[in-house]
Amino acid sequence: MKTEFVKLIDVTLCTACRGCQVACKQWNEMPGLRTKQQGSYQNPPDLQWNTWTLIRFQEYAPKDGEFKWLFRKDGCMHCTDAACVKVCPSGALYHTEYGTVGINQAKCIGCKYCISACPFDVPRYNPETDKVYKCDLCYTRLQGDQQPACVKSCPTGALTIGLKDVMIKKAYARVKELGGDANVYGDKFVDGTHVIYVLGEKPEVYEHLPKSPSVPVTTMLWKDILKPLSLLSAGGVIAGSFLHYIIHGPKLPDEEQGQEPKGGE
Amino acid sequence: MRKGLIQATDSFERIVHWCLAVSCLILCFSGLGIMFHSLNFLGEPFGGLKSLKYIHNFTALFFILSLFFSVRMWWKEAGIFVFPEDLDWIKSAGGYLWHVDKVPEVGKYNPGQKMFFLVVALGGAAMVLSGLIMLFPLSIPAALVRLMYLIHAAGFVAIFAFFFIHLYLGTVGSPGSLPAMTTGWVTRAWLKKQHPKWLKEMEEHGTLVVYGEEKSSSHGH
Repeated sequence: MKTEFVKLIDVTLCTACRGCQVACKQWNEMPGLRTKQQGSYQNPPDLQWNTWTLIRFQEYAPKDGEFKWLFRKDGCMHCTDAACVKVCPSGALYHTEYGTVGINQAKCIGCKYCISACPFDVPRYNPETDKVYKCDLCYTRLQGDQQPACVKSCPTGALTIGLKDVMIKKAYARVKELGGDANVYGDKFVDGTHVIYVLGEKPEVYEHLPKSPSVPVTTMLWKDILKPLSLLSAGGVIAGSFLHYIIHGPKLPDEEQGQEPKGGE
Repeated sequence: MRKGLIQATDSFERIVHWCLAVSCLILCFSGLGIMFHSLNFLGEPFGGLKSLKYIHNFTALFFILSLFFSVRMWWKEAGIFVFPEDLDWIKSAGGYLWHVDKVPEVGKYNPGQKMFFLVVALGGAAMVLSGLIMLFPLSIPAALVRLMYLIHAAGFVAIFAFFFIHLYLGTVGSPGSLPAMTTGWVTRAWLKKQHPKWLKEMEEHGTLVVYGEEKSSSHGH
């Protein structure tokens, strides 16, 4: 990694203006789809193939405290040890030079392995194109020394992007300033995510936010153990068969006084 | 055909066996192309990896059908162990691993073949089940889908390795076996060496079909 970038989302500064949500759609030329009023400000209700980032509106009423809104910008966390990249069979999902996880739709074969593997439940499938979509942290903008569209649009400074070390330091300084239950979320999971949160409450308070995300054990067993084992065991069998042939020899039919010629193939 | 050859398999048996073998191989190699980035090129002749995925999925239908007929056809002969004779054979490893003066006599299928059949039948069923679920991952809880990927991969580990054992023992490891899969006619000497009990049974029941000789009594498969 030459320059690892981290996007810092300080949810305590978010006013839920949804500028990021709109900017993301515009820059990535994703259509808006008709949605239904569900009695919540949050719209659409969840991430979609055409919605790569979303402000989650959560009404939070702690037992011994006052009601408050929790706003959280949801989207791809850009893991260092990304389960989606691990399982992607075609190389459509890949790590960029910024440490982020890019996606090349031309290579996507619509197998949906990444959807099941992602500990954050981020990638979304579009049946019409038979492809998977997710945030690529505006890879093309990063390449042009531009900030991602969401960061550019944020009016309150809740979204900032910068070099990894700098941003992590900044996050911890902010948490110290906030005190209480405030915490940094992301730098310790899946070898560090390239999107990290400053959360005002404990992680378990936030809806749809896993408390301690990790690459699923079954995914690791599959890709790190069984996959190499499949070639190893087949190779072992071929080697073993050869050894069997030269050491023990084939099982030949017994000759019967010239009545039958030696059994050949 | 040479006079004196004995029919070991009928045409239906051979067709099912070939269907199962060909579909299994196509599944293995298209699966390899999907599983390993370095083997993604296996999709190139067909227009890319996505086509390889479709080939994999549609071949599975063919495999399911072949597996169904295989299990129905071979279950009674190869799916059930007979004790103690099968245990004796296992104790001597059928004379395959070390020299045994007298290998316990077995019928149409020896315990090794029975074990292979069971691995194919049960492993194949596991592959079909996990594969079908993998086609619709969005309607099933993610944790369960991940488990299916694991089962599918584990099945491949077993089946791919077993394929080479099967290939070796069906050809150079046991000369004279291959015709059972190709023409269906084997030599008496081979039958006597590999399945002496079966030979005796067929002789006793009059079901032995010898090329160039009139069949003593007709008895279908």
